[in-house]
Amino acid sequence: MNKTLFASLALIATVALAGTPAENAIQKAQAGLAAHPNHVPYLNSLAMAYARRARETSDVAYYAKAEETLKQSLAAAPANFEAVKVEAWLQLGRHEFAKALETATRLNKQMPDDVTVYGYMVDANVELGNYPDAIKAAQWMLNLKPGNVAGLTRAAYLRELHGRLPGAMELMQSAYDSTPFSESEDRAWLLTQMSHLSYVSGDLAKAEMYATGALGVFPNYHYAQAALARVRSAQNRHQEAAALLQQRYAAAPHAENQFAWAEELALAGRKDEAAKAFAEFEQKSLAESMLGDNSNHELIAYYIDHANQPAKALEIAKREIARRQDVFTRDCYAWALAANGEYEQAGIEIQKALQIGVKDPKLLYHAGAIAHHLNRPDQAALYLKDAAARNSSEAAVLLREQSQTAAR
Amino acid sequence: MTLRSKTLRTSLAMLMATLTIQQPAVFAASHREAPITALDQKADITDWYTFVSPERADKVIMILNVDPFLEPSNGPNYFPFDPGILYEMKVDNNHDGVPDVTFQIRFKTEIRAPGVFTGFVGNLAGIPAITALDGAGSEGFNLRQSYTVTMVTKAGSQELTAGMNTYAVPANVGPKTMPDYNGLRAQGVYSLGQGVRVFAGTVADPFYIDLGGFFDSVNLRKAAGGGVLPAMAEGDDQHNYAPNSLAGFDVNTIALEVPISMLTSDGKVHAAGDKEAVIGTYGTTSRHKTTVMGDAGAETWAQVQRLGNPLINEAIIGTGSKDKFSMDDPINDAQFANFVLDPLAAKILGSIGVPVAPAPRTDLLLLVQYAAPICPGCGAGDAGPVADLLRLNTGIRPTAFTQQKRLGFLAGDLSGFPNGRRLGDDVFDIALRAVAGILVDGKKYGTPLGDGVNTGTAPLQPSFPFMAPAYSGRDSVHAGPGQPGCAYYESGICPSL
Repeated sequence: MNKTLFASLALIATVALAGTPAENAIQKAQAGLAAHPNHVPYLNSLAMAYARRARETSDVAYYAKAEETLKQSLAAAPANFEAVKVEAWLQLGRHEFAKALETATRLNKQMPDDVTVYGYMVDANVELGNYPDAIKAAQWMLNLKPGNVAGLTRAAYLRELHGRLPGAMELMQSAYDSTPFSESEDRAWLLTQMSHLSYVSGDLAKAEMYATGALGVFPNYHYAQAALARVRSAQNRHQEAAALLQQRYAAAPHAENQFAWAEELALAGRKDEAAKAFAEFEQKSLAESMLGDNSNHELIAYYIDHANQPAKALEIAKREIARRQDVFTRDCYAWALAANGEYEQAGIEIQKALQIGVKDPKLLYHAGAIAHHLNRPDQAALYLKDAAARNSSEAAVLLREQSQTAAR
Repeated sequence: MTLRSKTLRTSLAMLMATLTIQQPAVFAASHREAPITALDQKADITDWYTFVSPERADKVIMILNVDPFLEPSNGPNYFPFDPGILYEMKVDNNHDGVPDVTFQIRFKTEIRAPGVFTGFVGNLAGIPAITALDGAGSEGFNLRQSYTVTMVTKAGSQELTAGMNTYAVPANVGPKTMPDYNGLRAQGVYSLGQGVRVFAGTVADPFYIDLGGFFDSVNLRKAAGGGVLPAMAEGDDQHNYAPNSLAGFDVNTIALEVPISMLTSDGKVHAAGDKEAVIGTYGTTSRHKTTVMGDAGAETWAQVQRLGNPLINEAIIGTGSKDKFSMDDPINDAQFANFVLDPLAAKILGSIGVPVAPAPRTDLLLLVQYAAPICPGCGAGDAGPVADLLRLNTGIRPTAFTQQKRLGFLAGDLSGFPNGRRLGDDVFDIALRAVAGILVDGKKYGTPLGDGVNTGTAPLQPSFPFMAPAYSGRDSVHAGPGQPGCAYYESGICPSL
């Protein structure tokens, strides 16, 4: 073999083995701290690097490390701006959205030019369902630093929530185009979002392409495994989908990931395994149900769609809707109302969820099913067709039933 | 706490972590105020002027200067306006802080002879000297820009330049290419009908200041009193006692002459005592933007910079807020009110021993609200929101060109800053004194602060567009410390210390 070629191949191998971006950031910050202990900027970098590693690995231990490092930083320099930023970020991670919004708003008053802080304001407002405020903050991100990736992805998500899927894809693509090649996890994340957007647009082939692309960029990336599993499930390849979701759950052992896996096991006809997974999920999810960072959306779906305990579902949904009014929580609430036979109210609530124009197959299916129960066949058909075109198999089934009834 | 891995919502927050955005942490230079604006030279507004014309008392002059520190010899393209920028002049006439009359100026560039090596050529290779902006004598005017002026009001928009060819006057390349530059420049003044005149092009920058002395952490020249002017310098509006950092530099200008009646809320000319006589103005630059909820094909703009009162963004607004300030609208300025009520600049003056009025500095609200003395007709209910607008009482008669005083209002010359702003007003000296508290108590806080630069280097002219013609590129020089430019000193050499 040509020596130069060999050398460069070896170099590529070294680079590939050198560690993930977060691992590198942790090492760099630790090296800095070794030379200058308690230096606040290094402490802040380390806290952020731990938090970032937590995302890469889904290992919560890194969150605890981030918290601990943050405490050191705040002890060394009380209320220092960068540390409070990390704090806001961690509050978002803990799903303490109202608190995160408060922290971010305070930071924004202190330094209105900080683009990242606007990002936190977008996230908290989106989670709370304050969409106009989220749009305003996202617009400031793009005004202050036109074309910044974090602003583009947020604007893309806001467009998606408002049903503007081609526009969302356009922004995700430009975010991808401006992400450096070395940022493998960011690129994989963006590809995963593009897979998701393709899926909800009804383009299964593209959804598959982007999901496999993401796994190529960052092997075993758990977000991408979930995206590909969704595609496989829609292709009726349930065994493959279940295998992917099992891997995802192993990498990121959270209740909601177990729920998705259990649902797929059921679809694959593996009833006993599904029942076991559902039972474990219920325990796990109940244990965290009262915390901010919970899996209540999945728990509600479980009680309605799998456990036939609609009263429990509604109780949890009422608690959630009091806390946040985003479209997905509204959808859970509407679906729980419907499961308890309160169709009129369910109809009102699902309309509130759909009001901003969101085109999510699950929400559209729920809207169709609720309209069906309300004896509004035309409206039901409209929603169900839309949902079916976006790969909702449940909607397709109900649509067939509906047309057969009509034919009789 | 557990880590959620599923929702896009939370993972967006996490993406932020990896895409660290640098904090603007440096104090930017004067003609480069906000950190982000400083990266966009073409959209950088250097100065905004509004005054009643000393030439025609029924007209208001608005001047938007952009693109700082243009070195006159910097060929081959010199200093075109940016066709990607929307330049705007905005007027609030009903005291609500929101523009009611807006003038939009946009440029187009044509390269008339793509093979020629320079934008401007004359008296060479059979090409005649450039003596005209169009037609015969314009053959060598290769890189040429035309522009449109559109007036926007609630009633709709009207292109004032419709059916006309209006050209920006190029930089002064030198005597061989442009043997009669002043004559060429005169052709760039266009009458647009309805009593409006416009001029756009490159001029000698009329602003004057000792930037080097100021930005070296307020290290003003000892020869000029070290920040407190000696009596001789204080009373001399004709000479400089410190080097003018803008000497020899050009700037791009858009100047508009508009009848007062086109700007007031009721279309009438008012006496100084009527509140309707007072307007608030500012200039902006904007670029195309990504709109979060934008539709494809719709033209939307992101404001890059605005300027109302001079030195507000440079000297008053904190560095962490300068970009937000630049991009926001004046109507939202209440968020920055604390910078005005307790200005850092006052603390700095206090720290070097200047008597300074105590915070909160409600006296400075005069710059950001409608009130006496600029608006004697305004009652308490007419102040309007806190908004950085350059306020002009159009009913106050303009001072004759030769009688104008550089200290404007402070020297009893009521047609000068902060009643609008004229080209010759020494806003740096005035602003320093205002920050110290001269408006609170002229005796107690009336230290004659100043940088010793009292006049622009190229003399202003008595008629529209009033600014001196661009410096000749071939003969360009700058006057710094130790160089000629300070006529009062021996051999006219400016002091270094």
